[in-house]
Amino acid sequence: MAAIAISGLVKTYGKQNAVDNLTANITKGRITGFLGPNGAGKSTTLRCLVGLSAPTSGTALIYDKPYRDLDNPLSKVGTVLDSRGFHSALTGKQNLRVVAAAAGIPDSRVDEVLEMVELKDAAGKRMKIYSLGMKQRLALAGAILGDPEILILDEPANGLDPAGIAWLRKFLRRLAEGGRTILVSSHQLAEMQNTVDDVIIINKGKLIASGSMKEVIGDGSLEDAFLALTGGEL
Amino acid sequence: MGALLKSEWRKLIYARAHWGLLIGAILVAGLGTAVSPVILDNPDSGFGLGLEQTQSVDAVYANAISGYFFAIIIGIMLMSGEFRHGTAVATFLTAPKRGTVLATKLAIAAIGGMLVMVIATAAGLTAGWIALSFFPDAASPTNEVFINTLLAAVVSGAILGIVGVALGTLVRNQMLAITGALIYLFVIDPILLALAPDAGKYLPVGLITAMLALDIDAPEFGIDTSAYLPPLTATLVLLGYGAVFATLAIATSLRRDIE
Ligand SMILES: Nc1ncnc2c1ncn2[C@@H]1O[C@H](COP(=O)(O)OP(=O)(O)OP(=O)(O)O)[C@@H](O)[C@H]1O
Ligand SMILES: [Mg+2]
Repeated sequence: MAAIAISGLVKTYGKQNAVDNLTANITKGRITGFLGPNGAGKSTTLRCLVGLSAPTSGTALIYDKPYRDLDNPLSKVGTVLDSRGFHSALTGKQNLRVVAAAAGIPDSRVDEVLEMVELKDAAGKRMKIYSLGMKQRLALAGAILGDPEILILDEPANGLDPAGIAWLRKFLRRLAEGGRTILVSSHQLAEMQNTVDDVIIINKGKLIASGSMKEVIGDGSLEDAFLALTGGEL
Repeated sequence: MGALLKSEWRKLIYARAHWGLLIGAILVAGLGTAVSPVILDNPDSGFGLGLEQTQSVDAVYANAISGYFFAIIIGIMLMSGEFRHGTAVATFLTAPKRGTVLATKLAIAAIGGMLVMVIATAAGLTAGWIALSFFPDAASPTNEVFINTLLAAVVSGAILGIVGVALGTLVRNQMLAITGALIYLFVIDPILLALAPDAGKYLPVGLITAMLALDIDAPEFGIDTSAYLPPLTATLVLLGYGAVFATLAIATSLRRDIE
């Protein structure tokens, strides 16, 4: 069963098609890597999926519904986008408490997720002094606040140091073991090759490959396949 | 809706900027009432009333309301701040029905505007009382002036907070919305009022003045309430402005993509 169904999705900015007739299904209970060069339209697709951007045409559905029609969406879908949605003058904990209140989640869960992303010590500090990696951890904490079945992560490794990336790998594995569906975009191909089950590759807004990791890369590496498919090889 | 209200309440009290606005409103109200006895008592100031008249003592206390524009700014900040700080992303991911979020913001802005105005006005009344105690010849105020001023604070705080949110939704750019509102209120509207006094009473400043009227008819201070709409009518017309802004915002800015 498809947890996420993207069908004929088009998003136009001015004359440019940032997403160009994209159709793809994300299978329930699997980790799907969403790949493509800079400007391929990954973030735009994910924004349409969570209802922040309106598609020019086509649909992007979660459990057969537009995100807007999910009731209490945070309990079903956790999202990390490239813009994180936190107020820099508030502390990390305050930011999460604002979100928790809106979703009817108890404050004790805020402390719990802060501990899970190893931000307990910085929780009482204002966001403006957070490093990039700390902001990213807080965003991940926000995504799991509602203990959702689906995670949509736009470059979650962004800003993480090697230890942070190793931590993220374990973190995602643990989430996936619970049967969750994870859609994750990334440029870290070696990392993705070891982590994800399925792959969707887009370029210039168009789908160029999709399927299981094995189907897409054959005997080579994900990097080789990616560069060959996107015309990025030297 | 209850959960959203709690979330919006937290946004209101967590942000230091909002506390700064409260302090600003207290200062403006306090200074307004503390300074006006000095001006009124000065025979050269041209007002020619003197503090021996009940009317002018009432006018001193009525100045306690003068921080009203802070209620508009709070309203503007509650919504445009979401776009300025990027928190709109988290807000609309959590509550994707944008109209519901707007409705909650309108409610919280009404409460926040009301609280700010009541606290600032109470501070202003106290400052006026202290200032007047230095003028032994000052008349006693009428019995109603305190309750009327506080009532005006409650109503104007709620209404102006609502108008502010509607404005801040329509104009997502916070600096533009705030400076635009202040320039309009203190420069453009008074000019329009001078150019077309008949139409002027339907413009925001005329309506705000009428809403705050307090039955003080004192042309000497430029408060000629007989020329304005009755307070209740003015309040409703102001709410009408808020409704128009909010409806325009729902049809335009609230539909746009959230970055
Ligand atoms: N708000 C916008 N207005 C105009 N153009 C936009 C907007 N957002 C994205 N674009 C354009 O749409 C295209 C796709 O951008 P998008 O951010 O989706 O790419 P991406 O695949 O996420 O890239 P990256 O890997 O660099 O994050 C780009 O050409 C970008 O310039
Ligand atoms: Mg991107």
